[in-house]
Amino acid sequence: MTSRLRSLIRNLFTRENVDRDLDAEVRSYAALLEEENLSAGMKPEAAKRAARIELGGHEQVKEEVRAGRAGAWLETVWQDVRYGARILRKNPGFTAIAVMTLALGIGANTAIFSVVEAVLIRPLPYRESSQLIVINETTPKVGTVSVSYPNFIDWRSMSHAFSQMSAVHSVGFNLAGVSQPESIMGDAVSPNFLSMLGMRPFLGRDFDSSEDKPGTAPVVLLSHSLWKTHLGGDPQVVGKLVTLDGRSFTIVRVLPPDFRALDKTDVLVPLGLSINADSYANDRGDRGDMVVIGRLAPGATLATARVEMEGIALQLARQYPASNDQCGVALEPIRAAFVGDLQPAILVLAGAVMFVLLISCANVANLFLARGAGRTREIALRLAFGAGRRRLIRQLLTESLLLALFGGALGLALAVGGIQGITRLIPDGMLMGATVNLNGFVLLFVAGLVVLTVLVFGLAPAWHLTNPDVQSELKDGARTVTAGRAQNRLRGVLAVAEISLALVLLVGAGLMVKSLYRLMQVDPGFRPDRVLTMELELRAQRYSQKPARISFWQRIRERVAALPGVESAALGTAIPLTGNHSRTDISMEGMPPLKPGSYPHPDMHTISPGYIETLGVSLLRGRAFTEADTGTTPRVALVNDMLAKRFFPNEDPIGKRFMFGHPSSQGTPSWLTIVGVVGDTKLYGLANPSRLEVYVSYLQRPTDEMQLLVRSGGDTAALISAIRGVVASIDKDQPIEGISTMNEIVTNSISTRRVTLILLAFFSGLAVILAGIGIFGVIAYNVAQRTHEIGIRMALGAQRKHVLAMILGQGGRIALIGILIGLAAAFALTRLLESLLFSVSAFDPITFAGVASVLAIVALAASYIPARRAMRVDTMVALRHE
Amino acid sequence: MSPQQTELLQGTLDLLILKALALTPLHGLGVARRIEQVTRGTFRVKPGSLFPALHRMEEEGWLSSYWGESANNRRAKYYELTRAGRRHLGTETQRWGRISLAIGRALEAGS
Repeated sequence: MTSRLRSLIRNLFTRENVDRDLDAEVRSYAALLEEENLSAGMKPEAAKRAARIELGGHEQVKEEVRAGRAGAWLETVWQDVRYGARILRKNPGFTAIAVMTLALGIGANTAIFSVVEAVLIRPLPYRESSQLIVINETTPKVGTVSVSYPNFIDWRSMSHAFSQMSAVHSVGFNLAGVSQPESIMGDAVSPNFLSMLGMRPFLGRDFDSSEDKPGTAPVVLLSHSLWKTHLGGDPQVVGKLVTLDGRSFTIVRVLPPDFRALDKTDVLVPLGLSINADSYANDRGDRGDMVVIGRLAPGATLATARVEMEGIALQLARQYPASNDQCGVALEPIRAAFVGDLQPAILVLAGAVMFVLLISCANVANLFLARGAGRTREIALRLAFGAGRRRLIRQLLTESLLLALFGGALGLALAVGGIQGITRLIPDGMLMGATVNLNGFVLLFVAGLVVLTVLVFGLAPAWHLTNPDVQSELKDGARTVTAGRAQNRLRGVLAVAEISLALVLLVGAGLMVKSLYRLMQVDPGFRPDRVLTMELELRAQRYSQKPARISFWQRIRERVAALPGVESAALGTAIPLTGNHSRTDISMEGMPPLKPGSYPHPDMHTISPGYIETLGVSLLRGRAFTEADTGTTPRVALVNDMLAKRFFPNEDPIGKRFMFGHPSSQGTPSWLTIVGVVGDTKLYGLANPSRLEVYVSYLQRPTDEMQLLVRSGGDTAALISAIRGVVASIDKDQPIEGISTMNEIVTNSISTRRVTLILLAFFSGLAVILAGIGIFGVIAYNVAQRTHEIGIRMALGAQRKHVLAMILGQGGRIALIGILIGLAAAFALTRLLESLLFSVSAFDPITFAGVASVLAIVALAASYIPARRAMRVDTMVALRHE
Repeated sequence: MSPQQTELLQGTLDLLILKALALTPLHGLGVARRIEQVTRGTFRVKPGSLFPALHRMEEEGWLSSYWGESANNRRAKYYELTRAGRRHLGTETQRWGRISLAIGRALEAGS
């Protein structure tokens, strides 16, 4: 064994010495033979000849020895590589086009696959994350809603399918003691939260099991990034204090850098603190901002857990009809919660780039065939000299592999740029904290793609070119009028495939364009232009009383409205398209009592005077709120058109009364009088239907968290800093968060579709260009091949227009077959897009027809250029050519 | 030329070369002639099979080679058995003996 290894090394590294030695040895053998013959009495000439005959060919003997040597296969591979590289260098045009085409396909795939890997494949940083289930409640009116705390407590004690359950309640804090007051996000969690997830410790301790009781000491866990940015990564940080909402919290732990929660999370605090602050702990009907995560018990599955939890929900609904009537549960794996609605978009894009790669491969295969025709003589010669077909295929595949490797390397470079472009295109938060990058897994994928492309674009031409039938045909072909029927057929098939693939992509892009266009035509129910919005949350102790809140909001509104350039300013909660919702049951006056789950459940907005005008919601009837509607005047409300039509179809809704909650026997109901009717708004996204809405005045129902809305004609940046100044002049510790324009909010609400469309449009554009080049290549090559034939035809009296029609007809035939196949494929595939479409059928005939004509035009244009060349063939030149 | 050309069995050539070199180092032609001589012309080894075999066996470590002078003062490459080669010759000889015995019996039984 060691001796074989030694030989291998010697053969590889001192190959020239080894060869020289072998040569000398064979020569000396011949000399000895000649000498033997001479001594046997032969004449010198005869002795030499006899020796040569017995030797049987100097070079052959050497070749036999080489083939038997250790590492012989490596040597042939190396030979193939060098030969392939030489061939590629000799055809720089071909090489550049092929490498570029492959790089586009591989680069697009790599970039999209990086997103797939980051969002769908990369393991979540939890122990056995497939066992973690996110649980929400459902109501028939709204769908999925948050969990109420008492229900969570009951679930935890009644369920056996889960070994652990933890409540996660979103909380926000004002972080003081930094240059600018800042608002941070966090979760109040059950003490077992981190141990259930299986997060390894980074610094410090976990929560104590007693820390979910009300009145627990204020302790906090910091995210790794907050620790780095705000505490300078101090390793002695555990035990130190940090001020949140004006209260001192003891830092007990720093989270590891790979910690990911369902939302942006800067801090974790024990649930006990949050229960202490809010009253939701005892209100079973309060489904505020809590989600439950459970770890499946050994032996339990998502299905068994679902059955059990549905049973528990039914039981609770019977037990507590007032709050739980018709409420169900929704369970999903934690991965699905992280992926959200991105999955269909990502998979569609992954499919699209795969199509682009296939088109690239078809193009390169076509190039290979075209060039291969020029190499027929070389290949024929090598076959004739006894080279094995397998050996030749291997040689051609090595060339393909070289091309694919260069294409892969360049594609990787394109992907680096592509990933940057995609991450810039995607709004923050859309990927749920996943970071898209080129890692080992992605590189492995690229390597796989390279091999795949070699098989796709290299194998067919290699097989074809070394086919003995084709060989004989082509050998004749060199002297006949039309050549290579079989080869032309293969090239035609490849071009047809390209057209079909491009058509499917273009149909997808077309449907998306139409959806997005329709979506942007949707009236959101308000006028987003020139409206700036930002969020203010009064968390400090001094705002715990209602008068303090009212006074703060009033001063903000007055001073902001007085800023130069401001047309109007207002405050409101749950503004459209932001994902902030507040819903509550209402009862109409005079309505018979209903089952608890059947009460109207509108979205509720708490707004200031001027809100309707500032946001541009239309006032249909009655009046909006004024400063005169205060805590001491009768309670008033606005309702939306949908609510007015639903409950007062044939009456004037103005003056009608309703109350929040359900009528109860004790106490006098607190009625609100409807004073105005406003237009419906798209609270839940442009693609989603409007819901029932009611509006109340913050003067009558003060709240601690509102959006400031400012309609202005001026410069946004200047306005923002002016508003910052106003807020700081009222309360220097009050942070401002979520500053954006309403237009941005509208755009972001359709960002998944928009990003998908941009990328899909880009890829289908690429596909059409590549397919156009493909057709052009086939027709141009064909024209070049038929120059002689065309010359004969024209000499025999064919008109130029006949020649033009003949060539165009050829391109048209390819296009027609490709379009028909593509339409059928698109018909089968566009349903995958359905969840991304809006008010467009996946089989929209106009899109299908439009795309088919676009491709037909591209195909004819691509054939027209070579067709014109054919038309101008000079008869004499063409005939003399032979 | 030769009365009959017998196809060499796989592995037989190795054994013949080892045997030819058992007594004294020989150059390539010497090995061919020795084999011809001891098999009384049954096996005539052509360079096309001799050289690959010699080189392969050298890579296996059974033979070693050196450049020397022939009887007529010509430079020639000589091969000799290594210790491993001698061991291999022993085991191969035994194996061959068993095989030829078995084949012989089988043929007798059939007739």
